[in-house]
Amino acid sequence: MNTGDTAFMLVATAMVMLMTPGLALFYGGMVRSKNVLATIMQSFICLGIVSILWVAFGYSMAFGPDVKGLIGNLDWAGLKGVGTTPGPYSATIPHLLFCAFQLMFAVITPALITGAFAERIKFTAFLAFTVLWTTLVYFPICHWVWGGGWVSSHGGLDFAGGTVIHINSGAAALVAALMIGKRQGWGREPFHPHNLGMTLLGAGILWFGWFGFNAGSALSAGEIATVAFFATQVASGAAALSWIVMEWLTQGKPTTLGAASGAIAGLVAITPASGFVSPGSAIIIGLVAGALCYFAVLQKSKLGYDDALDVVGVHGVGGFWGALATGIFASTAINPGGKDGLLAGNPALLGIQAMDAITTIVYSMVVTYIILKGIDIFIGLRVNKEDEIQGLDLTQHSETGYSL
Amino acid sequence: MINTGDTAFILAAAGLVLLMTPGLALFYGGMVRTKNVLGTIMQSFIMISLISIEWVYLGYTMSFGPDVGGVIGNLSWFALCGVGTAPSPTYATTIPQVVFMIYQCMFAIITPALITGAFAERVRFAPFVVFSLAWAILVYNPVCHWIWGAGGWLAARGVLDFAGGLVVHLTCGTAALAAVMVIGPRESYGKTSFMPHNLPMTLMGTGLLWFGWFGFNGGSALAANGVAATAFTATHLGGMAGMAMWSLMEWLNSGKPTTLGAASGAIAGLATITPAAGFVGPNSAIAIGLLAGFCCYYAVSLKNRLGFDDSLDVVGIHGLGGLLGTVCLGIFASKAVNPGGADGLLAGNANFLFTELFGILVVGVYTFVISWILFKVINATMGLRMIRESEVLGLDQAEHSESAYNT
Repeated sequence: MNTGDTAFMLVATAMVMLMTPGLALFYGGMVRSKNVLATIMQSFICLGIVSILWVAFGYSMAFGPDVKGLIGNLDWAGLKGVGTTPGPYSATIPHLLFCAFQLMFAVITPALITGAFAERIKFTAFLAFTVLWTTLVYFPICHWVWGGGWVSSHGGLDFAGGTVIHINSGAAALVAALMIGKRQGWGREPFHPHNLGMTLLGAGILWFGWFGFNAGSALSAGEIATVAFFATQVASGAAALSWIVMEWLTQGKPTTLGAASGAIAGLVAITPASGFVSPGSAIIIGLVAGALCYFAVLQKSKLGYDDALDVVGVHGVGGFWGALATGIFASTAINPGGKDGLLAGNPALLGIQAMDAITTIVYSMVVTYIILKGIDIFIGLRVNKEDEIQGLDLTQHSETGYSL
Repeated sequence: MINTGDTAFILAAAGLVLLMTPGLALFYGGMVRTKNVLGTIMQSFIMISLISIEWVYLGYTMSFGPDVGGVIGNLSWFALCGVGTAPSPTYATTIPQVVFMIYQCMFAIITPALITGAFAERVRFAPFVVFSLAWAILVYNPVCHWIWGAGGWLAARGVLDFAGGLVVHLTCGTAALAAVMVIGPRESYGKTSFMPHNLPMTLMGTGLLWFGWFGFNGGSALAANGVAATAFTATHLGGMAGMAMWSLMEWLNSGKPTTLGAASGAIAGLATITPAAGFVGPNSAIAIGLLAGFCCYYAVSLKNRLGFDDSLDVVGIHGLGGLLGTVCLGIFASKAVNPGGADGLLAGNANFLFTELFGILVVGVYTFVISWILFKVINATMGLRMIRESEVLGLDQAEHSESAYNT
């Protein structure tokens, strides 16, 4: 046990927790005023649902004793045996702290998906989806990558959750947007964000929390945490700049929504790479992420799917680029515990990264499809047309966001 | 030797200081009119991008790189060449050098963002970006080197600045004064009253700033030790006393204590305690905060009489706060509190007060002259101000094609 590492991880855990309310505001500002509370609620309630699942069986499924590389067994259900002495994943902090840190990742992942079906899903259907998706998609993939499962055993790198969190939520978001269908009036009338100040506040809180997310993934307060912390800052800075430059060039004006989206795209892309790459590489990863995600987001209107708050374009595409970028830029000179990537003369890593990403996408999409299909049959996914026009705040929660 | 406790603390502190820039964006954003809120927030946000990149390539090596004649760091750390996870032998010897570098980066980000309050609601985005980059290179980096860089000439003369009273607050406040003089007041300033459009946003921003300031001042100890605890305590007491005093002055002078006054007083107290935080005891911190609330309140009242449109009070709060805090450091500093600091006037060492006054004079004059020239040159070449119609329309539509609130 090391008190410095423990102090660091306690702070990092709280910072990752803060990202979920930050995400709630980021998304909440982008919807119309009649849906702001419901949108915020979808993120907030994940703090409740997933925390309970995690204690009951989630932590054990994700990190418990391995069963054939696929899943953890239920030996640690109810956190049995998970105490204040260090566990198998981190030698210098209490096992329970590692469990709490990982919980915050499990909370934010289903919350990220909510941007895809914003402004039109039934609250009951959403609750059922979150329970099932976290159990059947998140816990297994988390086990594969971080819990000693088959992905980690063949050498893929994912420092802080590019595959587990961003590609995974982006893939699920694409399926969700396609299955639930477009919002009423989509493509005919413009949907303006109702409160961009709220979105920018959310982006600021996310950026802050992301230091806990990435640097904390080192699980100790040392060199690797520092590498990750720094890569996080410059990649998101670079991505925000490249996104607004793209906007400036193609649409005439740099927007605040673009700066916020670009920053998040950079944070997403650097996540899997953050502990393995140099600052120069991080800047390149960020610059590419900003431009790439900007163009990815533009495609949705051409392809005709209503990914309301751009989960696919930012988290899916950004996450996929990050996974590949890790395969390109990773360097054992930066982190001896990592691997060399393409530029350090090891093209095999790039292939492994691509394969892991594609496997995650396929598994996530298939299982998400089955879950949503089931919910649609038994509960119904969407609110009816009148309720959608009236707004989710009133029809799902009997509240209004603003009484001015 | 890397110490994990120190590393953990400074990593967390760097995150806290980063959060101050979005906090500042909200603090300023709430005070402008509805049509300018996004443009105002953007001016702070974009500094996070612009200055981070500038810091990697130029800023860190100019500020902290090997000294050239006491004036500037040379470029041998360009692109962070040689800046790795081993501790620096000079700065913060118990944490990776990269941690020190990123922590300092956050200070470089917020300083130009602070200036934006002076010219809020009337400057075009492109010249603003050019100014901020040039200012970071020509003003922030040299001044930072003089005071905090190894071999810097002001540091060599004994000038102390714990967490940025000179480097951050006096520089931004002085640049703000130059901005106000070159750019001039907003359309119909003085004829109509400009009401803050969203005070809860400003108060939320104040809360985030206060929270982040613990990283700003506490972290400036660069280790999780007694000095950090001294600075942390002084920060809280300074902010608290500033808020109390400003509210009281309002109550006495205009009949009601306002929430905007409480927020402004807190920021004034926090800015003023910044240079002194790690060098003074709790009672001195309270005295400094009270003085800050009192002086900054009157400074802000004065601007209307002088006709300066320092829109969001950068000169009155940060400029004066940084100046006053540095003077107070010269008065209240005590080696009994921090043996690595100095004794000030009250501990019988008047020379230290004169040293701090010299620091104020040098930094103030240098910053004013360079900032004034920069504004003049950019104004002559690119044009700083929006055309009148655009200003009436608002920054959000004219510069970013967005509107903040849509029902």
